[in-house]
Amino acid sequence: MGSTQYRNHPPQAGFDLQQIENKVFSTNPKKWGNYMKAENINPFIESVAETFENMLETTIETGAPVLNDDTKGTPDIIGVIGLSGTAQGIVALKLPVKTALNVVGKMVGMEFRGVDSSIIDGVGELVNIIAGNAKAKFEGHAISLSLPTVVRGSIYRLNNLGDTVWLTIPFKSELGEFALSVSFRPAVVPEKEVAHAGAHSR
Amino acid sequence: MQVLIVDDSQIMRKIITGALKKLGINDIVEASNGQEALDVLAKDAANIGLVLMDWNMPTMTGIEAVRKIRAGNNKVPVVMVTTEAEKAKVIEAIKSGANDYLIKPFNPKDIQAKLEKFLQAVLK
Repeated sequence: MGSTQYRNHPPQAGFDLQQIENKVFSTNPKKWGNYMKAENINPFIESVAETFENMLETTIETGAPVLNDDTKGTPDIIGVIGLSGTAQGIVALKLPVKTALNVVGKMVGMEFRGVDSSIIDGVGELVNIIAGNAKAKFEGHAISLSLPTVVRGSIYRLNNLGDTVWLTIPFKSELGEFALSVSFRPAVVPEKEVAHAGAHSR
Repeated sequence: MQVLIVDDSQIMRKIITGALKKLGINDIVEASNGQEALDVLAKDAANIGLVLMDWNMPTMTGIEAVRKIRAGNNKVPVVMVTTEAEKAKVIEAIKSGANDYLIKPFNPKDIQAKLEKFLQAVLK
């Protein structure tokens, strides 16, 4: 993330992702479709900022999103949560160990020196809060969250949903650098079914 | 009187415990899912003065637990503390018997402001 350009948060409506959208279409419009629009990604960027400001009293800087078909790399702890309902997707919060220790330490007001069950639990809760806060920003949708899963290790490969792409947004803060990867696909659901799902989903 | 914190995340239970201690509440019991919460209430309902309930938990969700608590005619105040922020969810929770609703992410001031009215009874 060394050469990434960051901008101070909050960018009023998140990043202008037009460039990313253009890249999606030029890559393979039929395959990738129209999913990774700014309106579908900005809620996640805003949610990260709000979560860090409210729970961690920390402002973040947002880097330029990076488009990739799948994602692999160096982060050590990854909180993963699935979205289902009127949109399907996966949200992955990727933290180097040092950032994870700082973030969870700030959450509970304790100092952590190594990864233990509290760190794993804290990263799971953090991705749960970020995804939950983001999904509430999608008006007219009824989206459910899976229970979070936390993956450890620096050698991994996250496969995206069949016809979507990953968009990875780098962040930095006084607690350290981290990134959020999102794969998101709104489902085509008749309006009356959306209302029904909203009333009855758990 | 005790406060029952129900959340599958031990970190979230620690965060809420910390906020309650700042309010002078030290008598706290914890459960990690809805079923455990029902078990605590079945054993010691008279001593529980407030329940703080997460929504999405394994084994039994918080909303199922609230419905069962009310079905058992237990009137203990229940505040949902959850990431479920949509209006439809808030309405569902209140209709199911929750008394109030606190959305994650929150800061300690939010939880203190939200719980103040319920804690008067707990502190008695």
